[in-house]
Amino acid sequence: MDIRTKTAEVDTATPQATHAPARPDVFEHTAKVFELSGLSVYYGAYRAIRDVDLVVPERRITAFIGPSGCGKTTLLRCFNRMNDLIPSARVEGRISYHGIDLYGEGVDAMEVRTRIGMVFQKPNPFPKSIRDNIAFGPKVLKIKGDHDEIVERSLRRAALWDEVKDRLKDSALGLSGGQQQRLCIARALAVDPEVILMDEPCSALDPIATGRIEDLMEEIKSEYTIIIVTHNMQQAARVSDRCAFFTTEVNERSDTRTGVLVELDRTETIFSNPSDERTEHYITGRFG
Amino acid sequence: MRSHFDGELDQLRLQVEVMAERVSQALGRMSVVLATGNVREAEAALAADDEVDAMLVSLTQRCYDLIRREAPVASDLRFLVSVLRVLEELERIADLSLRVVKQASELHLVVAYPPMFSTLLDMAHEAGLLYRTAIDAWSAQDLDLAETLAARNRVMDGHYAVLLDHILELDGAGAAKVAVVGVLVGRALERIADHAVIVGERLHYLLTGDPAHLAAEVR
Repeated sequence: MDIRTKTAEVDTATPQATHAPARPDVFEHTAKVFELSGLSVYYGAYRAIRDVDLVVPERRITAFIGPSGCGKTTLLRCFNRMNDLIPSARVEGRISYHGIDLYGEGVDAMEVRTRIGMVFQKPNPFPKSIRDNIAFGPKVLKIKGDHDEIVERSLRRAALWDEVKDRLKDSALGLSGGQQQRLCIARALAVDPEVILMDEPCSALDPIATGRIEDLMEEIKSEYTIIIVTHNMQQAARVSDRCAFFTTEVNERSDTRTGVLVELDRTETIFSNPSDERTEHYITGRFG
Repeated sequence: MRSHFDGELDQLRLQVEVMAERVSQALGRMSVVLATGNVREAEAALAADDEVDAMLVSLTQRCYDLIRREAPVASDLRFLVSVLRVLEELERIADLSLRVVKQASELHLVVAYPPMFSTLLDMAHEAGLLYRTAIDAWSAQDLDLAETLAARNRVMDGHYAVLLDHILELDGAGAAKVAVVGVLVGRALERIADHAVIVGERLHYLLTGDPAHLAAEVR
């Protein structure tokens, strides 16, 4: 499936240098799904995040961590062009998906969101039955095949099937918060995406439900590339393979804050021996 | 921020130094016992060991508690796991000093062989120096000082080789008994030095996060 509806040039140029790690990057031989270079996002004249260079490897979990307001969610929403829905939002720089400029001419944002699904902070099932929540995407996208089969497969992948198989016609709103979030993950999986973006997917869940979502992430990461924004340091340490730390820089002239990428490395390194003092201060709880 | 946690870490740092001082006293008593065979000093050394054991247990529990409560990462995590290792090393060094002390009543056997006894005294002196250097480096977080430990330990290895030569030269009735005492004491002193070197390696890991130093501890 191609995200472009019109002809657009595929960038075959040498990728821009990304964050240069002090140590050898063990993911350098892993296929790259996304490459960002000099990416900045503006809301009107306000620059929310600036000059981000990073690579997202395939079938790995990449975590974005950092203090509130550092632009993690803003950046996450660039990966499937969700920021298009905000009229004042503007993206500068380049974000390529398998070498194709995501914001390039001829790229269909709807197609992008089919390939790159999203799960939000608060579970947001449609006020429909469990089955219809899952079948909604395939129906809208006119995906051929047996939709009941897609529903079962998606619910199984999201480790929810056994809990809901006897009540598929019941309202999704009757499920617990944790079940609703897994339903939302199943809904994202139903259209067979390649990437799943997760914006603090467990922040509204109890530790048991959180554990189930984390187990689920571990299980599906062999098939999907996952990017997760989380405020939970331990969660980032537990689930991710790579971790990017962002912070805010204060612009004294305008008294505004802009997010910057400080460090991107293997999660193990970030949490045992980060390169940058700002990362150390943040993850050890001594920020600010 | 996290001033309470910082306070706990400072307190732990201090307690490790207190325990290190107790172990230093144990090594001092060991040297006196070795040089003089003083049985009263030996008894005092044996009695004092309970305090070192109790400190190991209580400080280990404190580390576990801080890990459980504070979920430390990065330098905090390295500090706590390193303290756990250093506590074990300190306790081990104290135990090894007791192996020497427990030979108090048999030491007259080796005194009768001056070259051998002199080598043991040299080894005890070297073990004390290595230990002091390791603890000073740990306290001051002085990597340069810690670097000197490996060379010092080679001196110790040299003494140990000389000791073994002396033991192999033993002859006649009662030689086996003398050899056993010589090996027991010499081996304990040589191991004290090895454990002091591990403290230095652990300081490297604490400060640099380089896992190569974990491997060095195993060697």
